[in-house]
Amino acid sequence: MKRDKNLPLTETVYYILLALLQPAHGYLIMQKVEELSNGEVRMAAGTLYGAIENLLKLRFIQPVQSDDSRRKIYVISDEGKKVLHHDFERMKYMIEVTKNVLRQE
Amino acid sequence: MKKFRFYIDFEKEEKWLNQMLIQGWELCKKSYGYKFYKIAPNNTIIKIDYRTFKNNRDFEDYLALFRDSGWEHISGSKYSGTQYFKRVNENGDTDIFSDTPSKAARYKRLSNMWLTTAISYFPIFIALILTKAINITAFLNPRELYYTPGLWERTGVYFWKAFLFETPFAVMRGGVWLFLPVLMVLYLAFAIKAEKHYRKTNVE
Repeated sequence: MKRDKNLPLTETVYYILLALLQPAHGYLIMQKVEELSNGEVRMAAGTLYGAIENLLKLRFIQPVQSDDSRRKIYVISDEGKKVLHHDFERMKYMIEVTKNVLRQE
Repeated sequence: MKKFRFYIDFEKEEKWLNQMLIQGWELCKKSYGYKFYKIAPNNTIIKIDYRTFKNNRDFEDYLALFRDSGWEHISGSKYSGTQYFKRVNENGDTDIFSDTPSKAARYKRLSNMWLTTAISYFPIFIALILTKAINITAFLNPRELYYTPGLWERTGVYFWKAFLFETPFAVMRGGVWLFLPVLMVLYLAFAIKAEKHYRKTNVE
């Protein structure tokens, strides 16, 4: 099987996609990423804005209708869900194989 | 107070603006120059991003994200590129970037802007040459900058009088014709410098 060229996702991209399984605006994404990563990943405004722009370009996320006139709201796309799932499987395999090797030691 | 400076290096510009802050001068507007107003000396932080926006909606969304995360927008417009932010939340982040690639990427955007500007002047320059508004061969043969008929066949005082009389006009003519190519070279140099900063920041 040919591997998706977008894999592996970076830690920040992975958490953004995970956060966007529920629609959210920029600042909410920032808070969710921090929460999901147990405070390990803190993204600054400029960095997050660039990441959102990039994910929009890749069509992993898409804007949705919002009542907020200022803040745009984003949600993960089907393409984004697929790539998130692939990366999840990739990491699951890594964990399994590591466990097995460590057990044999 | 107004000051005029020109920066390609955002880090140097930030350093200067933050030094001004310590001395009690806070940036209130940047257009052709930097406008400061007097404040009580403090050590808040000013940071610079470089972005242009297609529409007001995108610009508003961008500003909202920064505002939400504790950065007040001081100066910049949809098309200005440079966006100046002041840290207003003491518990918030101390930088607007949290990784190196995004910190470097602003130089890439700046470099692309200068490059696009330089290239967009090119068709205008070519059009002016083709319509003979600019005589390009005059740069190789400066005699063509003089329009007085038969000037170069004249001799003695007769020649010098006509020559000296027309010289200021010839210099102006040449200067005007040189304006566009000089500008293009200058913009190209800015683009290369910004690109160098991009590469330097990215490997750090």
